[in-house]
Amino acid sequence: MKLHFTTNHQDHRVALLAALAITIHIIEAAFPSPLPGVKPGLANVVTLFTFLRYGWQTALQVSLLRVIISSLVLGTFLSPTFLLSLSGALLSLSSLFLLQYPFRQSFLHKYQPSAIGYAVSASITHMSGQFLVAWYFFIPHPGLFKLLPIFITFAVILGIVSGIITQLLINQIQQR
Amino acid sequence: MLTIGKVIFKATDIIILFAACALTVWLYSTFWFDSTQQGEAETLLVQFADNPPTEYSLSEERVITVEGKIGSSLIEIKQGKARFIHSSCRNQFCVFHGWLTVSGDTAACLPNRISIRLKGAFSDYDALAGSQ
Repeated sequence: MKLHFTTNHQDHRVALLAALAITIHIIEAAFPSPLPGVKPGLANVVTLFTFLRYGWQTALQVSLLRVIISSLVLGTFLSPTFLLSLSGALLSLSSLFLLQYPFRQSFLHKYQPSAIGYAVSASITHMSGQFLVAWYFFIPHPGLFKLLPIFITFAVILGIVSGIITQLLINQIQQR
Repeated sequence: MLTIGKVIFKATDIIILFAACALTVWLYSTFWFDSTQQGEAETLLVQFADNPPTEYSLSEERVITVEGKIGSSLIEIKQGKARFIHSSCRNQFCVFHGWLTVSGDTAACLPNRISIRLKGAFSDYDALAGSQ
């Protein structure tokens, strides 16, 4: 029996964006981090770009594919790292969805934040989500919370950086 | 609207950034500079793995031996302070950490899975972990 799939334009788009996100994720995993738990999170630029341009459904598909496939490639599938990655991805995407929700009203639409606002809120939820999962499941010790301010500081800075990258990317694409 | 080069910050972005900075400052003030957590310490909590911690008074000078995962750790209580004086682990980070002096101070030996923490009179209730 021969399996036959028909793919449409949307599938091609998701595959392309997910491939890009997976590549960035894996390259980033190869570099050592100055502080365990802090990564630039450039793969999230792809997620954010997808979210702003194609909507949350596409972004969810790209994000889940990125988390699952890159964990298979890196050998961390179903490990604690995978759980942290997945919870961070899902929480940051839901924060993007919730942040955009009120601005879907037409009279509020012009106040919609740019990529930077979205990126900062996503990176803060990503970091705090991961932190809470790590604290709840792996290291349930109150002393861990002394690290939270440092992590959130990095999240804000790296969120601004990835927001600026995303905005420049969107500017470039709109000019074509 | 604030434009730097090709990057546009909208009013909503600035509100979000402001809130993010406020959150960061609040976290530092809560977890690093909280006066109720950094007062006079009264007891020492010694915890092995996920077991409930054992409490020792700081007024009594003594050396406690705790059996951990890879061997024993010696913890000294002296003049209202506490420290690791020996551990079976290789790196001895817990010993080099030195004295714990104020409430909330923590030292841990990860290979041996033992952690010690000073507790003060005012931190009976931990706002994050619930009651202890």
